[in-house]
Amino acid sequence: MKITGTQLFWILFTVEVVMAVWLRISPAIEVSRQDAWISMLVAGMIGAAITFLVVCLSLQHPGQSLAVFSRKLLGKWVGGLLVLPYLASWYILAGDVLRTFADFVHLILLDRTPLWVIMFLMAAMMTVMTGAIGMNGIARFCEIAGPLTLITLILSFLLNIGNVNLSNLFPVIADTGWKNILKAAYPPASFFGESFLLLVIVSMVQRSDKALLRSMTSIITIVGIVLVSTIMVLFVFGPNVSAKMRFPYFTLVRSINILDFIQNVDIFVLFIWVFGVCAKISFYLFLTSFEMANCLGLKNWRKVVWFSAPLIVAIAVAIPNETAIEMLQKLWRLIVIPLCGIAIPMLLLLATAISKRREARRL
Amino acid sequence: MKRIIKLGIVLFFVITCTTGCWNLTEPDELAFITAAGMDAAPDGRIEISSQIAVPSAIDVQQNQSSIGKSFLVVSAMGKNVMDAGRTMQGKLSRSLFYEHRQAIIFGQSMAQRGVGDMLDMFVRNPKSEIRSTVAVVKDGTAKDLLNIKPKFDPFSGLAILRVQSSVGSTPYFYRHFLSDALNEGMTPLVPAFHIVGKNEFACVGAAMLDNTADLKLKGFLNAEQSFLAYWMIGRQSTISVTSVVDRDGGLATIRLGSLKSRIRVILTDSGKPAIEVRLSGGGSVIENNSNLDPSKGPDRRIIEQKLSDSTRQKVEQLIDQVQHQYKTDVFGFGDHIHRRYPQRWKTLKRDWDQSFSKLPVSVQVTLHVKDPGQSNSAMKRFI
Repeated sequence: MKITGTQLFWILFTVEVVMAVWLRISPAIEVSRQDAWISMLVAGMIGAAITFLVVCLSLQHPGQSLAVFSRKLLGKWVGGLLVLPYLASWYILAGDVLRTFADFVHLILLDRTPLWVIMFLMAAMMTVMTGAIGMNGIARFCEIAGPLTLITLILSFLLNIGNVNLSNLFPVIADTGWKNILKAAYPPASFFGESFLLLVIVSMVQRSDKALLRSMTSIITIVGIVLVSTIMVLFVFGPNVSAKMRFPYFTLVRSINILDFIQNVDIFVLFIWVFGVCAKISFYLFLTSFEMANCLGLKNWRKVVWFSAPLIVAIAVAIPNETAIEMLQKLWRLIVIPLCGIAIPMLLLLATAISKRREARRL
Repeated sequence: MKRIIKLGIVLFFVITCTTGCWNLTEPDELAFITAAGMDAAPDGRIEISSQIAVPSAIDVQQNQSSIGKSFLVVSAMGKNVMDAGRTMQGKLSRSLFYEHRQAIIFGQSMAQRGVGDMLDMFVRNPKSEIRSTVAVVKDGTAKDLLNIKPKFDPFSGLAILRVQSSVGSTPYFYRHFLSDALNEGMTPLVPAFHIVGKNEFACVGAAMLDNTADLKLKGFLNAEQSFLAYWMIGRQSTISVTSVVDRDGGLATIRLGSLKSRIRVILTDSGKPAIEVRLSGGGSVIENNSNLDPSKGPDRRIIEQKLSDSTRQKVEQLIDQVQHQYKTDVFGFGDHIHRRYPQRWKTLKRDWDQSFSKLPVSVQVTLHVKDPGQSNSAMKRFI
């Protein structure tokens, strides 16, 4: 089950951009107004740092995913325990994504369709994708969905050029101050930090020397795209209006109006977005099943899919409303990122360094 | 065999769901709204009128009177927009479809009451879109404007949009209006239309809706004033300027394209801000009834000078009137101060309307005659 470096790039890109561009823009604008792009830059740097940390750690243990090397370093029980927060956060994130997707489609497109039908359809897709086809299939799918998403995003920005008002970005910093900008940077950073999923995937890359380069270019591309979309939203709507919108990117696409003819193109973007969501959810299903199998020492991770998939759907259904999603995001940025993105990788890096020194001493 | 059965089940399920069974609506079950009108009704309610397109009657070339109107107007009253919408739906056999709406029109009574409460629905309702253009009716109701059958277009919602382009302004879309309304440094300037006679409308300038007071109507600018104001805020693409250019009172008209406006904030000696407005444009002379010959250098410079002077006087008068009579910042001077001197703006923005009326403004207008037109001296002059 090997993936190429390019597939790694597109997997990370598809998985992160889909959520970041859709949902993470207006929280930043609400706090830092027209300086939200600076917050995104800061967030990007934090995200890149987490990516770097995580990939370096993974490369110290080539061919071994998180559960495997953590158990090797710290013993079966402690190592296994360290993987639990990761599993919990991935399950919760997958349920959150499924629920947000279904909510959005229900709100905008299919408002008479019951919510569970939308969720069930997507869940069926992801089960087939992961269970029947596996990581190779997901990787190849991301290699298609990724460039498609990128092209659609760039096209939507270009088509909006006629609507921009350059003065919307000024005055820079004076209104909000550095404290607010940094405060607003943290939620997007916690979503760029989703790249700790690389702890599992880098082990599957065929040529591990490419892994670091590809991961870093991927996170840089992601941050670039989110930055441009934040800037475009600010240019077209200004900070006052976009802070109040729930889905500013979507409204941006809806306001494309070329020659009074090209209008209402939001349906194409939605169509492409569904590919991205499908890739993301299948990937998380794979991730959770695979890691859980490694954690419990099981050989066949596909059997675990039968457990993971219903759990993800159950989490998605159990979320009562938008405030619960807000709470999950708070959980993500206050506990998950410091723990799973920073603390545990540092701990494992330390353990790796100690064990390498012990081996060198033995020799 | 097993695989085919499994695949068959999955495909079957996918097909039943993707035909959109719950959300299936045929086009003939939809009423396409092309314009929405809002008027104030007695006892604090509002009256919503919707102009609905009748597709079968559009674009038919022959005898239009025998076919009938290509649209119909339905009205209903309610506590807010969606409440009235619910009542309106009860009068129609097709469900209302908002996503092709071209215009949102406020009647004068509604504008006087304040349209702040009307803003939310257009953004929040997922079925709505914010691509419409916004307009205000002067001395009339939106319902009457919607009922007019325009001369060229199938319905007045579209005509309003097109009239704005044909007089040289950029159409004022709802998202600009929202952005201006939420901006503390300026007051939105909405195009105003007037109903003439029984079945005609005309663009008569612009309405100032005060965003510090729930977007109540503050006053109107007439057509020429509104074009000059749009020029200052960058919403006008062409404009025609006429003035006296020689001693005998001969007139010349220039049609300006490439209009530019530069508003600069400078600090006076006492540390207070002052505004410098620099307008420029170039174009060709399209009518000349004076003694001057625009194709000759010195004469051309005199024409440019006179036209620039008269435009400058008109702009100064406009700014003066807006500053002292209406006391509301439609030119976005506050916005410019905000961008250039954000610290100072923090203290100024509290009573901006008062500070705005005391703001010293200097105006400079530079017009270029790029082209004298197809003839040289005026036709009436003997060679």
